[in-house]
Amino acid sequence: MTSNPRAGGAEARVILRSERIRAWGRHHRQLFVQTFAALMSAPGSLITTWLVIGIALSLPLLLGLGLREAAVADAKASIEPSVSVYLSVPSDSAEAQELLNTLRGSSQIQSVTLVTERQALNAFAAQSGFGDILRAFSENPLPAMLDVKPLVGGGAEAKLLVNWMDELPGVDEVVFDAAWLARLQALMRILNRLVIAMGLLFSLGVILIIGNTLRLTIESQRSEIEISKLFGASDRFVQRPFIYRGFWLGLGGACFAWLIVQLSLGFLAAPVEQMAQAYRSSFALGVLSVDESLWLLLVGAGLGISASWLSVWRHLKQIQPK
Amino acid sequence: MLILDQVSKRYPNGHEALSNVSLQIDTGELVFLTGPSGAGKSTLLKLINGIERSSRGQVIVAGQNITQLAARRLPQLRQNIGVVFQNHQLLFDRTVGDNVALPLRIAGMPPSDIARRVRAALAKVDLEGRELDWPEMLSGGEQQRVGIARAVVHRPPFLLADEPTGNLDPALSKEIMGLFAQFSQLGVTVLIATHDLDLVKVMSARQVKLEAGRVLSFDQ
Ligand SMILES: Nc1ncnc2c1ncn2[C@@H]1O[C@H](COP(=O)(O)OP(=O)(O)OP(=O)(O)O)[C@@H](O)[C@H]1O
Ligand SMILES: [Mg+2]
Repeated sequence: MTSNPRAGGAEARVILRSERIRAWGRHHRQLFVQTFAALMSAPGSLITTWLVIGIALSLPLLLGLGLREAAVADAKASIEPSVSVYLSVPSDSAEAQELLNTLRGSSQIQSVTLVTERQALNAFAAQSGFGDILRAFSENPLPAMLDVKPLVGGGAEAKLLVNWMDELPGVDEVVFDAAWLARLQALMRILNRLVIAMGLLFSLGVILIIGNTLRLTIESQRSEIEISKLFGASDRFVQRPFIYRGFWLGLGGACFAWLIVQLSLGFLAAPVEQMAQAYRSSFALGVLSVDESLWLLLVGAGLGISASWLSVWRHLKQIQPK
Repeated sequence: MLILDQVSKRYPNGHEALSNVSLQIDTGELVFLTGPSGAGKSTLLKLINGIERSSRGQVIVAGQNITQLAARRLPQLRQNIGVVFQNHQLLFDRTVGDNVALPLRIAGMPPSDIARRVRAALAKVDLEGRELDWPEMLSGGEQQRVGIARAVVHRPPFLLADEPTGNLDPALSKEIMGLFAQFSQLGVTVLIATHDLDLVKVMSARQVKLEAGRVLSFDQ
């Protein structure tokens, strides 16, 4: 029997491939630790970089959190305004009584208070100081009114309720001051956009910071990269440590951002609560949840890795042994 | 086997460093490349491991025509060629052991095997147990030998050396040339560019003389 050299060769290649995959995994594991150790060998500049990244990430984050709390407060506040339902019939009529019962029976209404013609006149006289003029009229010119406190949340629901009440018999006019709500919501939309724009800009800033840091590192390791390529290192191989460096810079920066945000929230919590109480609002700054914290770390690490891809790859390809 | 077939190299500035060079080096052969400064010795070596590309002609390394080799295939070629180049010295911020280990790391060898191979390579150049030393702690000749250990640690079938005895005294130069002769006896194809004609004379190896980019003669 003659041996089959090709079979042996094929077998050798298979072993080679699995060994290559193992080597690849080993290289990643080594770099995970080595790049962190290398960064830690210059703790001063590492912490400075982390701090800069942390500040850049925390600014849009703080604004976004503030906005989220404001939105919650807004949702609660939208049930506060009362709706004035002016009657076309006298307050002591049967129609008025029926209307009162209908509104009290609605699941969307919290409370209804009847303000009679006389009460309305007295209130107006007390507020305006025109009591004497009004008393000059032989008849009370003011209609009776129902002060309705709705249970509904947003502006759209309130509008539906207003339309429904407007159609009821005995109702002359429904006045609901939704303008302030619309203004607030418009402002919130602008702020929302602002947060997104800031988030994008500061993320770009983080990518530039990390990219620049990595490029400086590459320059300091130029001869090592050249020699590595001279001995057959691929572009991917020489790039790998910089991906891990980017990862650590982004992740560490995100940790700093987390710390800055939590400290700022703690620092702001008391005065914000006081201010909210003064406005009889339940506005309160929360802390970052576990989910949000994980997202922050993920985004930080992702930005670091993107930075190493965007700014390092071409630079590394250009470095060739001479 | 290493074949250059009618190779010319013109640099971007128009200077023709090599003109119509043909050369064949058998597996396990040791060849000296000599000639005055500017003759094109370094250029020829750079064509073999793809640092430069030939303008005309074919360069064939281990049966592979590398003239049209895609850039992404270069690493594979270079892993088979050990080099001792003067402008690629040791990394001074790495220990001797780390310097020598570099080609093995690139090849993806497990750390335990790397340590063993590095020890053996350093032993071969008479620097046993110096893994943890820093290059600056070594003499010029010792550094040169570390460079040679790095070039052969991964047992490449080809070895290129550009002035490997550049600033060494005659005794050490002879010792290093002896090392190269040993490698060729182990089957490594070795090509050495050198000015040192005295040294070449005492070695029983073929000499290829270059002048102004042309092959003058093959001396035995
Ligand atoms: N990158 C380059 N661009 C332009 N010309 C070059 C380049 N590299 C080398 N040359 C020229 O090509 C010629 C051959 O250079 P090479 O370095 O190959 O010579 P050499 O034989 O190695 O010389 P030496 O013995 O001094 O090292 C020289 O005239 C040199 O000026
Ligand atoms: Mg030269």
